[in-house]
Amino acid sequence: MVEVLQQILNGLTIGGVYVLIALGLTTVFGILGISHFAHGSISMFGGYVVFYLVTQQGMPLAFACLAAMGAGFVLGIAVERLAYRPVRDASPINAFIVALGLTMIAEGANLQLFGADQIVIPTNLQSVFRIGALTLTELRFYIILLTAGLILAMTLYIQRSKTGYAIRALAQNRNAAILMGVNVSRITMLVFAMSSMLGVAAAVMIGALFAIAPGVGEGLAIKGFSVLILGGLGSIPGAIVGGLILGVTEALAAGFLSSAYKDVIAFLVMIIVLLVRPQGLLGKHS
Amino acid sequence: MKSFRTLSKLSALALAAGALLTASPAAAQRELVIGVTDALTGPGAVFGLPQANSVQMAAREINAAGGIRVGTTTYNLRVIQYDDKTNPTEGTNAVRRLLDRDNVKFLLGFCCSGATSAVASFIRREDAVMLVGNAAERAITTQGIPNLFRTRPPADYTGQAAGAFVARQGPRRIAVIGSLEVGLYVQYLDAFEKEFAKSGGTIITKEAFGLRDRDMTPQLTKIRALQPDALLVIGYVEPAAFVYRQSLELGLTVPRFGFTSGSEEQFLRVVTSAQMEGVWDLKPTELTLESASPVGVRFDANYRAAFGSSPSPSAPYAYDQVYVLKHALERAGTVTDTRRIADAIRTATVPPEAVMRYLPVGGQMFDENGQAYTSNGAFQWRNGRWVFVEDLPSDPVDYSKFLRSLRQ
Repeated sequence: MVEVLQQILNGLTIGGVYVLIALGLTTVFGILGISHFAHGSISMFGGYVVFYLVTQQGMPLAFACLAAMGAGFVLGIAVERLAYRPVRDASPINAFIVALGLTMIAEGANLQLFGADQIVIPTNLQSVFRIGALTLTELRFYIILLTAGLILAMTLYIQRSKTGYAIRALAQNRNAAILMGVNVSRITMLVFAMSSMLGVAAAVMIGALFAIAPGVGEGLAIKGFSVLILGGLGSIPGAIVGGLILGVTEALAAGFLSSAYKDVIAFLVMIIVLLVRPQGLLGKHS
Repeated sequence: MKSFRTLSKLSALALAAGALLTASPAAAQRELVIGVTDALTGPGAVFGLPQANSVQMAAREINAAGGIRVGTTTYNLRVIQYDDKTNPTEGTNAVRRLLDRDNVKFLLGFCCSGATSAVASFIRREDAVMLVGNAAERAITTQGIPNLFRTRPPADYTGQAAGAFVARQGPRRIAVIGSLEVGLYVQYLDAFEKEFAKSGGTIITKEAFGLRDRDMTPQLTKIRALQPDALLVIGYVEPAAFVYRQSLELGLTVPRFGFTSGSEEQFLRVVTSAQMEGVWDLKPTELTLESASPVGVRFDANYRAAFGSSPSPSAPYAYDQVYVLKHALERAGTVTDTRRIADAIRTATVPPEAVMRYLPVGGQMFDENGQAYTSNGAFQWRNGRWVFVEDLPSDPVDYSKFLRSLRQ
């Protein structure tokens, strides 16, 4: 039983990071129908920035994170304005190609600017909490806490704020939202900005827990899209549930079945869910 | 009369100069291009980049010392290097580019087994000589390829010695976690397991991680529940470093043995020195300042000065390749006849500039399989650095016969 609980705890941490990535992807997809593949690589840029600020400029981690999330916000706006807006009314294949191109540009830029070596964001969170036979590192504890806070803030913002209403309206019926006076350009820009900001937070967590290196962003984006499909495309609760399920399934699969097929088993679960509920766990029939 | 004497003197001078120019071929200075394909990015870059740097460094040293004298011509080395990204397809493309476009005949580097094996599969048919470095997959030197040589011993040569060493340390139930989809690590583990079992030891579980995996807590949680006497970690430095860190975070405080070949600097990017304390690395006796000869100490200092970081322990495998090639070219007296050059390598003794401590077979650096051997060693992390503790008994002559027996 202890082993099961420990595996669930292990899985919740990484699942939380998947949720943050998926939340960004699902809001973008919900509003624009764009598969924003570059999301992972752009997020990693923020992680690299934090590493640079902490190790080269001696900035405290918390301030570096805030600065990088701010940079992510601006980068999100730039991506929307310069890359996606020009193809907004074109055929969906155009946006698809832009997304692929952006991924390559972002990966290439990261490689050129920060090099090929993996980097680990240094933290002072070295303690380990022991609760009975369970163990939880201080870093993982704060990551779970921070992830929960960001998810809550995002959910409240979407559910309660005026902008949140506009985002949901746009996701539900674009034409009706325009007729009701929703400023599509502004909302779209804001969604990209928030999405990148959450992505940067996820990248910092990955960089502190594990490492950032070329290719990590792309892998994370794939996991993010898997969560989207599992939870239901465009569904915020679906992204939360899907991310946590994927994280915990991976941990349980590695612990109780085979570590060699950790990813395979997690994706197998996703396929099974889709066979039973093609619209995803919390998605709606189109 | 005076003008006649002056003219005679000038004529004599001109004749002497002309004669000197004809008789002194030392003036002929040419360029010889050598190619490096290695993992400059990707998961193998921790081994590939230091190897590529080492080749550059050796080439600069040779050029500064006057170059390579082959017959009547002196050659300065120029290095062209390509990134194989630890990927067999990229590795094959890089070598094809070197052979077909750059007309290179000497291929060096090769840190990682996947890409190296792909190139080894066709190099026999090429007019080239291939010198393999850190790639430890056994099959690379079991095919009797006449123009392929490797400076690093195969993984199972080390695994056997490591198994005997761990058995002597006392643990009986060992849990293994490693890159078990990579051939060289599987070979290391097989040899380890056979030797370990001789003293009644058992491996209670074998958990795998991928080259890009960094979260090993699920596997380690499973291992913790099995209560092993010790942990054996086999894989690339980066994932291995995460295993060491996360094992302690999960309260797994058993002795930890490894086969990773990472430098202090590479480990400390991920894990603290306190978390590494007591970890064993059982590997070929590679570069550590304690075990190194004066040549090794000089190599380490020059590398740090040139590249601003410490070399990986396996970096000298590639450095030594350049000197092997230099002496072979000088002995063969040609830079174009690759068959004669390969013969010269096969019969070469260990070059005096070699950093690694090679164990010659029959007095020669490479055996009939094209394989060189170093001693194996047990290194332990103590107070922030790898400390050479003892040699692991290894028999290159016996292993060489075994390797020959595998040839199809």
